Amino acid sequence: MKFKDYYKVLGLSNNATAEEVKQAYRKLARKYHPDVSKETNSEEHFKEIREAYEVLKDPEKKVAYDTMGSQWKEGQDFTPPPNWDAGYEFTGTYSGAENFTEASEFFETLFGRRANHKQRSNVHSRGQDHHAKVLIDLVEAYQGGNRTIALKMPTLNSQGQVVLQERKLEISIPKGIYAGQHLRLTGQGGPGSGNGQAGDLFLEIAFNPHPLFKSDGRDIYMSLFLAPWEAALGTTVETSTPTGAIKLNIPSNSVTGNKLRLKGRGIPGTEPGDLYVLLTVVLPPAVTDSEKEAYRLMSEAFKFNPREIKG
Amino acid sequence: MNKNLAPNSVVEDTYLTIVELTQATQIEVTHIVTWVREGILEPAGENPEQWVFSGESLRRAKLACKLFRDFEINPSGIALAIDLLNEITSLRKQLSLHQENLKHR
Repeated sequence: MKFKDYYKVLGLSNNATAEEVKQAYRKLARKYHPDVSKETNSEEHFKEIREAYEVLKDPEKKVAYDTMGSQWKEGQDFTPPPNWDAGYEFTGTYSGAENFTEASEFFETLFGRRANHKQRSNVHSRGQDHHAKVLIDLVEAYQGGNRTIALKMPTLNSQGQVVLQERKLEISIPKGIYAGQHLRLTGQGGPGSGNGQAGDLFLEIAFNPHPLFKSDGRDIYMSLFLAPWEAALGTTVETSTPTGAIKLNIPSNSVTGNKLRLKGRGIPGTEPGDLYVLLTVVLPPAVTDSEKEAYRLMSEAFKFNPREIKG
Repeated sequence: MNKNLAPNSVVEDTYLTIVELTQATQIEVTHIVTWVREGILEPAGENPEQWVFSGESLRRAKLACKLFRDFEINPSGIALAIDLLNEITSLRKQLSLHQENLKHR
């Protein structure tokens, strides 16, 4: 196990005040919080920052950490000295942080699970609800179907160490589900204690990115590229949709940005979504002599100045 | 029917009560009530005992919990942040569609 220099994580010196700890944390949180960050790998980084803050903002933990910390350097192999925490009494709760469950091995060794989980006083209590995100393909939302998912969950083994336990779960994907919705699996969350019921498992649905189709609720968006003459004269093109290929009528004088709505061809449901086809006209480059000639003929046929403001 | 299948339901079809929402988010009920007053969550139903929450509310509540915990911001700050984050998400969606089209010009 490596020693973690919590001061270094927050970019602080070892004698930082409580106010400095708070300021440094808030600044880094805004930069790296996975919900607001533009940085890649922000989630891993944020966990470290959060953990450092959990220790340094808490006077009890900070004192304990400081007593031990001064001889160690970031990344050094670390085993805590025996009875290092003798004489410190941890209250075992910290405000507003009951959900802080992703602590490192280093944190667990120093402060243990006891500091990390609210003790339940009730003998027969309901298990915790669990959450996970599941990626499915768009086509599964159209058709429904079964899928086996693998979930990793930190659990305590008999020695009290945290291990990642993987479990496989076969779930049915209901037809018509869309990204952002939740599937609730009754009784698949954490086990209850005593006669308490197990908690539920909430699966938040997201779609695997698709090269052609983007979703917004039950509506699906796709792009269709047209040659200038197809757009100007109108045509029929064959295009793929999530439900298979269809023939699509392109009205004459279509322009880039026009949207064709195929009603009810989005994700099915009691109110099915629509499929929107966004048209983009692509200009072919003039390379050969005959291609150049074709553009010259166009310039003669059209008295067209795109910079003229239309009344 | 496949017996191995874990029984499930879409939250939109069943909805959550306030008790179920607090269990799902592990946050005290007083926070949920405050967030409803602040307009962060919009349940159907007159008073807390009758409130029912949609899957969208669950998503927003989970986000609110994280913002509350990780940034230590107050309810109106949470409301503002969630609105802005939603707007960014929808703008990014539109932008990605248009960028794809521009690549082909």
